[in-house]
Amino acid sequence: MIETAVAGLRCSEVLAQLSDYLDGELGASEVKRIEEHLLGCPNCERFGHNFGSMVVSLRRAPDGTESVDSKLVSRLLTQLDELTHEE
Amino acid sequence: MHDRQADDSSITDQALIARTAEGDRRAFEQLVERHAAAVLRLATAASDPSTAEDVMQQTFLSVYQQAASFRAEASVRTWLLTIARNTAFRLHGKTRQEDLVEEPLTQLGVQAGWGSDDPEAIAIAAERKGALRRAMASLSAEDQEVLTLRDLEGLRGSEAAEVLGISLRALKSRLHRARLRLAASLRRLGTDDEQASIGGQP
Ligand SMILES: [Zn+2]
Repeated sequence: MIETAVAGLRCSEVLAQLSDYLDGELGASEVKRIEEHLLGCPNCERFGHNFGSMVVSLRRAPDGTESVDSKLVSRLLTQLDELTHEE
Repeated sequence: MHDRQADDSSITDQALIARTAEGDRRAFEQLVERHAAAVLRLATAASDPSTAEDVMQQTFLSVYQQAASFRAEASVRTWLLTIARNTAFRLHGKTRQEDLVEEPLTQLGVQAGWGSDDPEAIAIAAERKGALRRAMASLSAEDQEVLTLRDLEGLRGSEAAEVLGISLRALKSRLHRARLRLAASLRRLGTDDEQASIGGQP
């Protein structure tokens, strides 16, 4: 990776802040500097874009798996019965 | 017995906990229905797929027994996940390798495809759920936990930090490194898949 300084930021500094940037954890001035860097640095722009897409896919991944096997739940409730009857 | 009624979403988690503390089984069942998937995912991350179900069972039994001690101002999901994590450790805790030597971030970046000619590989691989699952499973428990809490469950940074018992600053650092390692793993899997499909050609 050839380090370039764009908008007063080196590529490694952009890399270090990428998750904070994607998660909206940075202040307005930091966001502006990173976005200026991305505009002037195709390497960081490409990596940042794809890294961001990966995070979006990860965040969507639990879809359709919101309920667990009903047998598991039944087993849990049976165990609970045993536990409460012991008391 | 499959007479479980549909979840009444107008009842808050807090109210369900309060009713559970009074011995209301229906309320407890609803709590299980709402949170079992999240507890199971964290249990898988913190222990092992083979023991995750066991951890989930024990977690909810603890929840039933400890419902009266729940602080009303806390988030139920954060509380449940904290119990799940503690249970995973108690039962099947993996050896923790608490950041012995931190790899330089730029090194993690390079492995993840930073500065490479195909950074697209990670985004393409991440669209396949099977690849995402395998890449996740290849990571350490620490990495899996932080990704599960923050990205799969969508907890806020402060909530995830509370579950893991670390500072918000440490949480952010751990999350970023875990995402880079996930990207690196997706890259490797992508390459393996390509080689496998080339090798599999007649
Ligand atoms: Zn750059």
